[in-house]
Amino acid sequence: MVPERVAKAEKKDWAFINAWSLSLFGAIAALFTLCTLWPEPYLDVLSFLPDGLFVTFEVTVLSISCAVPLGLLTGLGRISKNRAINLLASTYVEIIRGIPLLVQIFYIYYALAKFLQVSGLTSAVIAISFCYGAYMGEVFRAGIMAISKGQSEAARSLGFNRFQTMFYVILPQAWRTILPPVGNECIAMLKDTSLVSVMAMPDLMQRGRSFAAKTYLYFETYTIIALIYLIITLLLSKGVSFMETRLNYYDKRK
Amino acid sequence: MTSESNITPVIKIDHVWKYFDELPALQDVSLNVYPGQRVVIIGPSGSGKSTLLRSINRLEEIDQGIIEVEGVDVHSREHDINRIRQNLGMVFQQFNLFPHKTVLQNLTMAPIKLRNTPRMEAEERALTLLKKVGISDKANVYPAMLSGGQQQRVAIARALAMKPDIMLFDEPTSALDPEMVGEVLDVMVNLAEEGMTMICVTHEMGFARTVADRVIFMDKGQIVEAGSPDDIFNNPHHPRLKQFLNQIL
Repeated sequence: MVPERVAKAEKKDWAFINAWSLSLFGAIAALFTLCTLWPEPYLDVLSFLPDGLFVTFEVTVLSISCAVPLGLLTGLGRISKNRAINLLASTYVEIIRGIPLLVQIFYIYYALAKFLQVSGLTSAVIAISFCYGAYMGEVFRAGIMAISKGQSEAARSLGFNRFQTMFYVILPQAWRTILPPVGNECIAMLKDTSLVSVMAMPDLMQRGRSFAAKTYLYFETYTIIALIYLIITLLLSKGVSFMETRLNYYDKRK
Repeated sequence: MTSESNITPVIKIDHVWKYFDELPALQDVSLNVYPGQRVVIIGPSGSGKSTLLRSINRLEEIDQGIIEVEGVDVHSREHDINRIRQNLGMVFQQFNLFPHKTVLQNLTMAPIKLRNTPRMEAEERALTLLKKVGISDKANVYPAMLSGGQQQRVAIARALAMKPDIMLFDEPTSALDPEMVGEVLDVMVNLAEEGMTMICVTHEMGFARTVADRVIFMDKGQIVEAGSPDDIFNNPHHPRLKQFLNQIL
């Protein structure tokens, strides 16, 4: 029989084996193995991709910095007592949620091209921000509504106006509920930027496609592409859960 | 009570009606509160006590009538309600402290943001208030680490930090464990002794008896009987009040 203390220690030693670490280290190991054993196709693919990775990050970061404020505005609009604002925000959410992102990307790209000259990057960022702004609007709305009514009553009774109450009292608390789903939306956004390859944006996916088209190495190329996306999103999801723990500071009974 | 006629009331509630959908929550309620007076409102639940209290600082809208605080019509759109509320401290049944702020920050937030009080000054005053309510050693902890009684005392201090002329208490001890009721009532008694104008909705009859200048008994949205604690508790007239007192005492 194993003494209890030993059993516990052993259990702890195995804690690092979980779905996340298996996927991450598996992906890294696979990437490393492929590139060292068969540098001929795999290392060639890999060395062709950094430019695309940069574009992917560029589109993602720009889209996040537009979609988060847009989501906040949408969320506030959805809970607004002003009927016009509320209707505007709700209609926006309804419409955007009903159209696939790929269709939106095509639509905005060609619709904008009709009226004004915009770069592929601009229309990609607009399309993705508009789409994710709607989804994030729902996240913000739910997060704000989860804060008890007593909090805003307490702030209002001290003399804070509606905006001060929202920004000093409600949002700082709602942020905790909002952050994990918003973080997940951002990760989903990074993955969805692969859709902009359809309009010849030289992102990670598009770079892979053109490499494969030239060399006919479809399997090898998309293996590497998949592994890179996987590694990035796994690292980001760890970042989100780390922030989540940081935001719980005021709950702990020290 | 004799001199009341020549003093202007700080709060003047005049023929106020309020409906929740079709149900009347307040029916023709009139009440004057004079400076330094301690008014305690009692009555069964659903009698409109809290609604009346909350309509004084417009947390509830009213449908008819006038409520004036220090001569200003609270429900008129012409007046800045946020400014009026700064003068009306409110304490809630559920404390409603801001959980993401420390105790000290809970007290200094409103004076700093709304009155442009310098931080140093606001913190100094906050510490004085915390000492007064007996929890100065908890200034830098978060509300979640305090007991209910401690949280409610912080909530009272938070309201006092804005230096209000009038304090409104909405069942301040109803959510507390029995052994914590006393510490909160003590703070309220001290406040009353300092001459603060107070309106308090409560089920603590002992507090009503000893602290109140005037006790209001409400039922079904109406003020059924009002008078000194002695009148209300020892010499009740209305059968509904007699029945209520029989059930709780």
